[in-house]
Amino acid sequence: MRNLSVSVLSFVLLCLVALTTVAAPKDEFARANEQYKEKQYDAAIAGYQSILTQGYESAPVYFNLGNAYFKKGDLGNAILNYMRARRLDPTDDDIKGNLEFARRLTSVQMEGVTINPINSFFESITSSYRLSTLAWLSSLLFIIVIALLAVRYGLPIIHPVIKTALVATLVLLVAASYLTTFKYRHDYLTRRAVIIAAQSEVRTGPSEQSDLELQGEPGLVVEVLAETGGYYNVLFENQRRGWIRKESVAII
Amino acid sequence: MSAKTGNRSVFVRILLTVVVALLAAGAAVAQNDVEIEVALSPQTIGLNEQAILEVKVSGGGQNVPNLQMPALPSFEVYSQGSSSNFSIINGVVSSSVTYRYLLVPHKVGTFPIDGISLTVGGKQVVGNKVMLTVTSQGQSTSPQLDQQGTTPQGNTRDYFLQATVDKKNPYVNEQVTLTLRFCTAVEYYSSPSLDEPATTGFWTEVLGNKAPYLQKINNRTYKIIERQYALFPTQTGDLTIGRASITTTVATRVQRRDPFDLFGDLLPQGVQVTARSEPIKLTVKPLPTANKPEDFTGTVGHFEIEARPDRTDIEVNQPVTVTFKIQGTGNVKSVAEPTIPELPDFRIYRASSKESTSNAGDRLGGVKTYEEVFIPKRPGTLEIPALAFTYFDPDRNKYETIRTRAIPITVKMAEGYVASPDIPYSGPTMTIGSQAQDIRYIKDQIGSVHRSGQLILTSPLYLFVNGLPVAALVGLIVARKRREKLAGNIGLARARSAGRKARKRLSRARSLANLSTYREFYGELSLAVMAYVADKLNVSPHGMTGDQLADLLRSRQVPDSSIDEAISFLRQCDFARFAPATPSPDDLTKALATAEQVMVRMEEAKFA
Repeated sequence: MRNLSVSVLSFVLLCLVALTTVAAPKDEFARANEQYKEKQYDAAIAGYQSILTQGYESAPVYFNLGNAYFKKGDLGNAILNYMRARRLDPTDDDIKGNLEFARRLTSVQMEGVTINPINSFFESITSSYRLSTLAWLSSLLFIIVIALLAVRYGLPIIHPVIKTALVATLVLLVAASYLTTFKYRHDYLTRRAVIIAAQSEVRTGPSEQSDLELQGEPGLVVEVLAETGGYYNVLFENQRRGWIRKESVAII
Repeated sequence: MSAKTGNRSVFVRILLTVVVALLAAGAAVAQNDVEIEVALSPQTIGLNEQAILEVKVSGGGQNVPNLQMPALPSFEVYSQGSSSNFSIINGVVSSSVTYRYLLVPHKVGTFPIDGISLTVGGKQVVGNKVMLTVTSQGQSTSPQLDQQGTTPQGNTRDYFLQATVDKKNPYVNEQVTLTLRFCTAVEYYSSPSLDEPATTGFWTEVLGNKAPYLQKINNRTYKIIERQYALFPTQTGDLTIGRASITTTVATRVQRRDPFDLFGDLLPQGVQVTARSEPIKLTVKPLPTANKPEDFTGTVGHFEIEARPDRTDIEVNQPVTVTFKIQGTGNVKSVAEPTIPELPDFRIYRASSKESTSNAGDRLGGVKTYEEVFIPKRPGTLEIPALAFTYFDPDRNKYETIRTRAIPITVKMAEGYVASPDIPYSGPTMTIGSQAQDIRYIKDQIGSVHRSGQLILTSPLYLFVNGLPVAALVGLIVARKRREKLAGNIGLARARSAGRKARKRLSRARSLANLSTYREFYGELSLAVMAYVADKLNVSPHGMTGDQLADLLRSRQVPDSSIDEAISFLRQCDFARFAPATPSPDDLTKALATAEQVMVRMEEAKFA
């Protein structure tokens, strides 16, 4: 009994601590928004960044930060933050709209190259769902499958309807789990980066002496394949590869 | 084919027709109804052109007799075949045969064609008279064609390919018609295969092939196949249309060299030949810069524009689709969409655009259609203004601006309308948002804030929710396994339930622990211990003596001290039950405690 009251008390305390720590980013966010409205974009950027450096994040924080960078004319950082916002909330039209808008303004267009049609297909399915939505859907299906297994083999009630339901739910579970894994791999395991430096050379090797492969432009999205010393080996959306200095890009 | 052989084949056809008609009906000849109609088209031709003479013989009978043609010395006559038509309506058989001849004139003048006749049952039927005028005017053989039809030695050629253009100094994007003529004076056996000319610097569209025709060049009759192209120069300066070539197999005049080769002339000789055209040089002029309108987008030709709304009476925020149609001759593919000015009363979306090309003679033309969706923002009488379209007319050497008419739109207040600057219209196939000139505004709410890098897949709640059903399933499987095991092993089941049953008996004994029921009390205690051991060892408790019990326990390696304790307790119980002395309440409490202790010992013994 004593143990129970201790754990209840500690839980309440934890919630209170959590509430107070969330309140701080909220105020910071409102303050940064005010600065944005007054067109003090540098101050607004510092405000949004301070929320992130405290270890908190949310789609609107990244979105507003992207807007502030956009207004400053920093296309690379704007696109970087829109992409971070989209990863947290792929359902938001504003995020999608601004990302598309900003990407249209990059001086080099590389989108639209489809190398792996199967990947693109799964990407198009999962792109409008959050990872959590897919994960909870898989959980729900998993619980239903377990419940049906329990009914079928634990009780046991043998009925064709239960068997059909079990097979159908199992198929859905496999599909949902695959999509969840795909989304996780695509959004979190694959390292993507955005070029943020105004001038960035993409070279054929990880050194200044290597030949110039192409000239990077702020806002271009790349996939990081490997890293050596101060360089990332990156893959562009049009499937061209090269080495770029780490400080020229930011990982999403 | 000569006139002679032509006439012969006509004769054969007529003969066949007659036989078929006779077999079909086998009736008497209706002689009186036979008529001959003669028609000429056209009635005036140039010296190098040809006319078609049609003779239609119609009559109620089945027997169409032989046609007699007059001599036509001023023409070369080629039979073009005949067609016949039979019908039987209400038992009346009617028939007609139409003979077609091609007339190629030799000289200028007006020539009557008269005396086409046939004899039916001794009576002559004569066709009507037609006049054919041959002028020196009309399409004359071009000197070029004459030139090309002759070899440098002055002989006529058997075949040649000629390429001509209608203008050599066009404006950029103005149509130049390229005509390829393949002329053969000898028969060809395989269908000619054409290697198209190179037209670099032009946008090219094929206008099509003309029906083959005959033409006299240098007093030799050639069969001519003609193909036309519409070329639109896409750049200014000197451009060249490359050579075209045609390959086919033609009949040749074989000169007999070997006096013993008797069959040289009799067997038809075919030889594969290739005719090439000459390249054509063009100088393309730029469009004049003087008086060039601001909105000119490079369209050259002759066009008309019209605008048609699908309705003019609507509610606020309802769409009106206006179809803008630009049609005429010229390169329709280069027609740019009309520029719509800023209209504060409307939101405007592009719905679709399509084009189709067609030829008018040797000019390429077509229609370009644009559909624009106008959505009125406020009620009232609004107007979609007249839209202008500018093109350059090369024939008149000037820029022309044409306009649609302005379209008045009556916009009614919609029910429940609230003046709002932007209600998105969700109509079909249009692009919303492409007109945005700025990013969307920042968000006021911070949304769901969480620690960075926190992933749902590794959160305790998620793991717990997914672990719970697994645990439940495992528990269920374990429980089921246990039940199955028990169902298959009575001994184990009895051993497992021994403690529970013994506790029940003890509690029953406790309720009997008073002086009036002490015998039952001891009996119950004794049974509790005995049954407990019997259940544990899976033997029957009935009729078992203390010694048997001791032996059984000993065989299961139960310690002797525990066995002695149990045996002495059972003896004590028997003694109390059957002795005449009444026990004290204290004895009963003690006996209960001892029974419990004995059972604890047995439990500890584990029974190997």
